[in-house]
Amino acid sequence: MRKVLFILVLLISYFGFSQNETLFQKATTAYNDGKYDEAITDYLKIIANGKHSPELYFNLGNAYYKLNKVAPSIYYYEKALLLNPNDVELKNNLAYAKNMTLDAIENLPETNFKSMYKKVTGYYTFDQWAYINIALILLFVIAYISFRNFHSATKKRISFIGSLTCLFLSLLAMIAAYLNYSDYKQKKPAIVFEEESIVQAEPNNRSQEVFRLHEGTKVYVLDNLNDWYKIKLADGKSGWISSNDIKLIKN
Amino acid sequence: MKTKQYIFYFISLFFILSATAQDNDQVEFTVKLSKEKLGLNERLKVEFSTNKDGDNFTTPNFKDFTILMGPSTSISRSWINGKRKFSLTYTYILQPNKQGKITINQATITIAGKVYKSEVKTVEVTAAVTNPNTPPSASDIASENLHLVAEVSKGNPYLNEAVTVVYKLYVSPDIQVSGFQAIDNPKYNNFWSQDMPVTKYTTQEGTFNGKSYRYVILKRVVLYPQKTGNLPLEPLSLDVQVQVPTQRRDFFGGAVYAQTNQRVSAGSKSLTVKALPEEGKPASFTGAVGDFNFFVTTSKTHLNASESLQAKVEISGKGNLKLFQLPQLNLPSSLEVYEPEHDEKISTNYSGMEGKVSDSYTVVPAYKGKYPVPSISFSYFNPKTEKYHTLNSQEVVINVIQGPSNNVTNSTIVEGSVKKAVETSGEQFSFIKTKTNLTAIGSNYFFKSTSYYLWLLLPLLFIPIAILFSKKREALARDVVGNKVKKANRLARKYLSAAKKTLGKKEAFYIALEKALHNYLKAKLKIETSEFSKDKISTLLLEKEIDTSTIEGFLFLLRNCEMARYSPFSNVQMQQDYTKAGEVISQMDKQL
Repeated sequence: MRKVLFILVLLISYFGFSQNETLFQKATTAYNDGKYDEAITDYLKIIANGKHSPELYFNLGNAYYKLNKVAPSIYYYEKALLLNPNDVELKNNLAYAKNMTLDAIENLPETNFKSMYKKVTGYYTFDQWAYINIALILLFVIAYISFRNFHSATKKRISFIGSLTCLFLSLLAMIAAYLNYSDYKQKKPAIVFEEESIVQAEPNNRSQEVFRLHEGTKVYVLDNLNDWYKIKLADGKSGWISSNDIKLIKN
Repeated sequence: MKTKQYIFYFISLFFILSATAQDNDQVEFTVKLSKEKLGLNERLKVEFSTNKDGDNFTTPNFKDFTILMGPSTSISRSWINGKRKFSLTYTYILQPNKQGKITINQATITIAGKVYKSEVKTVEVTAAVTNPNTPPSASDIASENLHLVAEVSKGNPYLNEAVTVVYKLYVSPDIQVSGFQAIDNPKYNNFWSQDMPVTKYTTQEGTFNGKSYRYVILKRVVLYPQKTGNLPLEPLSLDVQVQVPTQRRDFFGGAVYAQTNQRVSAGSKSLTVKALPEEGKPASFTGAVGDFNFFVTTSKTHLNASESLQAKVEISGKGNLKLFQLPQLNLPSSLEVYEPEHDEKISTNYSGMEGKVSDSYTVVPAYKGKYPVPSISFSYFNPKTEKYHTLNSQEVVINVIQGPSNNVTNSTIVEGSVKKAVETSGEQFSFIKTKTNLTAIGSNYFFKSTSYYLWLLLPLLFIPIAILFSKKREALARDVVGNKVKKANRLARKYLSAAKKTLGKKEAFYIALEKALHNYLKAKLKIETSEFSKDKISTLLLEKEIDTSTIEGFLFLLRNCEMARYSPFSNVQMQQDYTKAGEVISQMDKQL
């Protein structure tokens, strides 16, 4: 009985998988035919089925871009970027989408060290860093054991240096993963979906308007109260925005 | 000359009237008063006249008057161009006896058997005047016959709704105007005013207070109230030179005209300006009142980077075009936008300003891509429908086809290289990805998971295990003799276990031993050797390049096994054979 159930579950999951694959293929064809709406519906169906991938989000962003919908386009590109931070095509298309936004937000100047640090730790996601970390540890172990077993002096030397390097690099990868992880946990990016949204000084409608944001602008959520989010922009400005106006990139 | 002309006019008028009277055969019975307002010590002349001969004229009861003279009857007949004119007039000169409003009742007359009645008239009698019955002064006459009137098109307009004020100078036909001069031009505080200059003064006919007048339009102004509430309009004052007929007559009996300067001013008027309704006021309302159209257009929609295009925000229609701000164009920040050029094409007429205003933005895209110009909205209040209207512009997408891409990662483009590679127009917008590896959403992260820690630590555990293992192996490798014994023991254990069990029982032992030796060969050579002769076995083993001494040993053992069946063997010999078998097997094993 149990076996039958297991097979059934397997079959269903396999069926679901193949269904998503066909949906993806269908959407690709629709996109290529210029039927962007259809493509979007299919892609969203895959997400509704509980599956995702950086490519899926990338394609969704592309389809929305073609329809001139700024906010969803940037939203899905950013989502893809979270899963795969160093995709050249993705960055390229995101730049196109960002061209469409109205708000000019200049990044706060960063010190060289900080930008270097960000570049290095942000090159991979923390999960990717973790895999690198494991791989390096395995390499270290292998190199160390072979160092123990080799008899010739040169081989011994090479494997010893190799093992130490692997250990060092794996520690670095671990640190990078850790930093990236804490950074990820701390930051809550969101995209403004409303065509024009007023950012208030306090989380209520009576307070003063601080500034206005337009569709597609990326903000970072710091805090929330009732239906309001405290947000911060890349240039350091902050204020409270209605939660209906923005959509969080991380679920 | 002028007086003559007037007499001529008068006579001709007389004839025309008589002619019409005859033609229509209409009976007229009228009453005419010399004044409508007089002092107690002044006299009033009352004339009853009819155009047909009648009888039984009865005067009304002039009970508040003293009849100084009358009734005096006068009849006049005239024929002009064969048309007859008749008039019968009864005249009274009266002196009022009391102040206040006095009614002069109807007089009756019977004409051709019908009774006709005159109108009822009222006169106002005031206190006694200083110079009774003197002819009125020129300025008195002038002031009575000259009126400056400001006509306002709408008394209670909305804020910013156009109001036209027309200043008219009414001149009675009795006097003549030879010139005028504005003394005080009104300043329209709280209004935005636009003067429509009058280039030519043309006389028009009109009525004023029920009397026929000539009038001239002096000034036309369109006003846009800028404040709500009761706003007074400053009066316009004029100094008018007039010629007034006097009582004196010249030689021909025409009136002699006297010249006088008369100041007239349009009475101060005020407008009640209504505020625009708060209800339904759109957020994008910036004070436009009227009826408008709204467009946002771009000169191009497809262009290359660093070319320029014009984006135009245009409002056309009727209303306070100069008095509100045009909605600002929201352009993507990545476009270079210059200050807009403002253009107005407005004409002002009676109903206010009409035309169009536009802001024209020069836009230069630096990078290729799509740039949407989002829809902007413009709201205005229409005073006619008393409602707010909101117009939204169409969204325009500017497509920049060629140019550098705004990609941060590809900012370092090597320029000035001598070799010319295949030219691409910068980074293209990438196509979607066709392959993917879907994973479940919300799957836990690998980092910090148990499997991560296991994977991290387990390989490290391998190091001490490997070290221990290699140490043991080294120790074993060093002990060569022990090793051999061990190997022989192991092989012996494998094949000679049955023989060992029967050690001491001669028959069973040697049978087991022989079986074990054959079994060994069977395992190693994959040949059933129990039926073979010893020579055949030795040649087989020689083929496998095995030492002759080992083969000898092996064959000796086999021979012993056979001999033992028929001859007595001691236990010691049995033990020797057993160890020998172990040694031979291990030696052969090394060589096979």
